[in-house]
Amino acid sequence: MEEEMGETPGLGRSAAPKDFHFYHMDLYDSEDRLPIFPEENTRMGREAVQAEMTNEPRGAVKGKTQRDLEEEVDEFVHLYGLEDDHELGDVFIDETMPRIEVSEYPPYVMTGIEPAKEQRDWRLSGEAAKAEDLGFGGWGSAGQCQDLREAYRYAHGRASEEYECYVIPEEEDEEEAADVFCVTCKTPIRTLEKAFDEHKEHEVTPLNKALESAKDEIHKNMFKLEKQIIEMENFASHLEEVFITVEENFGRQEKNFESHYNEILETLTQKYEEKIQALGEKKKEKLEALYGQLVTCGENLDTCKELMETIEEMCHEEKVDFIKDAVAMADRLGKFLKTETDVEISAQPDFEDQTLDFSDVEQLMGSINTIPAPSAPVINPQAPNSATGSSVRVCWSIYSDDTVESYQLSYRPVRDSSPGRDRAEFTMTVKETYCSVTNLVPNTQYEFWVTAQNRAGLSPASECAVYMTAPSPPIIKSKEIRSCEEAALICWESGNLNPVDSYTVELTPAEMPEASGVTESVVGIPTCECLVQLQPWQSYVISVRALNVGGPSARSEPATVHTTGSYFPLNEHTCHPWLTVSEDGLTVVRSARKAPTKEPLPSDTRFSRCVAVMGNLIPVRGRHYWEAEVDECLDYTVGVAFDDVPKQEDLGANRLSWCMRHTFASARHKYEFLHNKTTPDIRITVSPRKIGILLDYENSKLSFFNVDISQHLYTFSCQLRQFVHPCFSLEKPGCLKIHNGISMPKHVTFY
Amino acid sequence: MALKQISSNKCFGGLQKVFEHDSVELSCKMKFAVYLPPKAETGKCPALYWLSGLTCTEQNFILKSGYHQAASEHGLIIIAPDTSPRGCNIKGEDDSWDFGTGAGFYVDATEDPWKTNYRMYSYITEELPQLINANFPVDPQRMSIFGHSMGGHGALICTLKNPGKYKSVSAFAPICNPVLCPWGKKAFSGYLGTDESKWKAYDATHLVKSYPGSQLDILIDQGKDDQFLSDGQLLPDNFIAACTEKKIPVVFRLQEGYDHSYYFIATFITDHIRHHAKYLNA
Repeated sequence: MEEEMGETPGLGRSAAPKDFHFYHMDLYDSEDRLPIFPEENTRMGREAVQAEMTNEPRGAVKGKTQRDLEEEVDEFVHLYGLEDDHELGDVFIDETMPRIEVSEYPPYVMTGIEPAKEQRDWRLSGEAAKAEDLGFGGWGSAGQCQDLREAYRYAHGRASEEYECYVIPEEEDEEEAADVFCVTCKTPIRTLEKAFDEHKEHEVTPLNKALESAKDEIHKNMFKLEKQIIEMENFASHLEEVFITVEENFGRQEKNFESHYNEILETLTQKYEEKIQALGEKKKEKLEALYGQLVTCGENLDTCKELMETIEEMCHEEKVDFIKDAVAMADRLGKFLKTETDVEISAQPDFEDQTLDFSDVEQLMGSINTIPAPSAPVINPQAPNSATGSSVRVCWSIYSDDTVESYQLSYRPVRDSSPGRDRAEFTMTVKETYCSVTNLVPNTQYEFWVTAQNRAGLSPASECAVYMTAPSPPIIKSKEIRSCEEAALICWESGNLNPVDSYTVELTPAEMPEASGVTESVVGIPTCECLVQLQPWQSYVISVRALNVGGPSARSEPATVHTTGSYFPLNEHTCHPWLTVSEDGLTVVRSARKAPTKEPLPSDTRFSRCVAVMGNLIPVRGRHYWEAEVDECLDYTVGVAFDDVPKQEDLGANRLSWCMRHTFASARHKYEFLHNKTTPDIRITVSPRKIGILLDYENSKLSFFNVDISQHLYTFSCQLRQFVHPCFSLEKPGCLKIHNGISMPKHVTFY
Repeated sequence: MALKQISSNKCFGGLQKVFEHDSVELSCKMKFAVYLPPKAETGKCPALYWLSGLTCTEQNFILKSGYHQAASEHGLIIIAPDTSPRGCNIKGEDDSWDFGTGAGFYVDATEDPWKTNYRMYSYITEELPQLINANFPVDPQRMSIFGHSMGGHGALICTLKNPGKYKSVSAFAPICNPVLCPWGKKAFSGYLGTDESKWKAYDATHLVKSYPGSQLDILIDQGKDDQFLSDGQLLPDNFIAACTEKKIPVVFRLQEGYDHSYYFIATFITDHIRHHAKYLNA
């Protein structure tokens, strides 16, 4: 340790040690990034930037700081070594610090606990090993310690003021180990010393206790440091993101500038060439004009000279000739003089003042800071399951180098017919590249298109994309639910005017509410009914969703199904007009008042002869049991029949029905078990008031029971190739009550 | 009370056996047949007693009725005793087929010379059940009875005279009102004397009228072409009328075309065994 300390003050040394780290040029390379001190954060950052730019010496200083900090790490390692080995004889010496303070060194303590950080790891082990070799020798004296502290401060530079350091010198004294801690001096001493030395008046505590409290303090601080490290790491990754964004944005702007300046330069060059050319032409034109004038001028001069010569010659002639010639000459001269001699300069030597037009350049200059209008966005097709009944989520994208301030999303419903006024269009402005459009009509197609916009203007519109809202929830016809112990037949109304793609039935056992209730789904149901397999003696909550390309509808109102016994509703379409079915669908009444004289019309679905009604039993083979409660004196018929049993015939009068008929006449009860108009001769001594009916598809049997006394009355053997339905008929005014959805009594299981 | 096994044959997984024992009640050697279903190997089973008709022994039922499969499936031990004491050397016991040997009528005789041996009612309701309970894996609490013709009469009176003793009862073409039919008049006057008021104690139709109303469910099958029905020996209508009046539950099935034979019994035996199983195995 001492050796290293000795090196440290050597500020001038140029060669960096192998673990000499600059603040890395790449701020964002997290692996090599030094942990940042919380208090030092901004300054360190600044230093780093400066170092990056130019400041080599500063980088060196920086490196020094690091170096020093590393040494501190070593000290902590040392400290930990103390703890681990429980070398109680070792000594703390800290002369100046009022208490042990480590919170200022967060990253280094952390590195001790997080060996995963490679950078720290190797250094740590290396230094620790060194420290061990030294065997803590020569650490005892206060003077030495003071030296170390000074060296430390020196090495620390500006950071050292904030980084109060302390060192833990150790005393290797096997014979007389320190065993108490002087609180006043903050130093471990031997008990003996207490008696004599300067510690005489000082407060002391046992060394163990002092050690414990020091350890506690360190652990607390370690925890704080851990938290700070996490915070700082988060902060660093945030900075990283910001960095990337800045780089991107500025890169884009650079490109933009470059292209604009190039454009301006080109324009200027072009203008220069144009001007030069125009100037040259003008010059040429002027020179030519001047030359022409010069030529004309010369010609005139020649003519004058010639005339002078001719006149001179004439003067030398005889008189007659002279006169003759003089007249002619006078004419000629007169003529010549009459012609004007042009002495005006046709071209001015100076050029006309021409204004240079730089308006277009100015415009270009002005546009350097503006950006181009975006190109048309690309609208995405609808994502599956992204719609609800009243909303769709529309998404689109743009070309990456477009700058967009906002988008205008427009839509209108798609309708096959009437492209007229009702195709109202809606537009909204959004900032993001998606939008949830609400308040739409369920199960409806809408076409969407989008334009992007910035200061420079509006892009062309995207292509149109058709999105579809999810359907409305279906409506379960809860009154028409049929069930038995193994299954239920659920039917519903679509709830949508337009067809949907399919339906999903969801069932949750009602016994186990949400917590553990596993919801089963039956998917892809094309029609408005579904036979679902269930477990016996349970209650289920059932709901239905409708689906289209946009997604599933909300759940329908739930319906509850009990799989106890068989439950069937009565089919009102089969009901003879004289019968009324109660609100709960379980009591059939034939009114006592005189029945209308008019016979009902024959029909395929409605009973017209026997005053009967048919139930809708679930089409599941197996066993079904129900009961009919009657008055002992009532004339009734109960049994089963195929769907297509002739409705204008009595029950039991054909091969399509099996029934038990009771007639009460002259105080005698008559019981018939009718099929195809025949009945066995059976006498029953106790009139049943509740008749149990067991339909057993597996064994092809239909049995009747007197429920109250568990008495078996009769069993038909019948071939049931199709499904049959329960039938109830009242031959006289009265009422019959149906009990279904009840479990099968044990006695009937013998038949 | 030692039992002597006469025969044992495996049948539908169980065993059809015939035993002989010395009857205390009847003071003679008596045979009875017992069917032990497979279930009897592992646990106690209900006991169902079959009473045969005139002239029959324990053999008729086990040979002709074809009841074994149903008994095997429902796990019922079925006991078929003989119809009268035998070999008692009573003068006139073999003179006619409808009185004496093979025609005990399931009464305890009070007249000489019959009263010593002809105690079939006590034999059927007391001695035999004790013997069975002691020697076979039966549940004494679950016991039912059925029979044919005279045995049908026997089954009905045993049940009606002992409310609650039998879980259920059924009959094939039973003699329902013996005090009013030729067979009954002959037998009752012979065994019980001329005081007709005593006869009513063994007449199902009369017994019904005083039946205290413990839960009963009586199944009766009757062949429509039964010669004894038309002869007025069986008189089921009287019994039904009495039951209707007293609200004793009866299902009476008049089976078209069937006569009094074991062919008729074999046809509906399964229905009857199911009827008993419903109560015995409930």
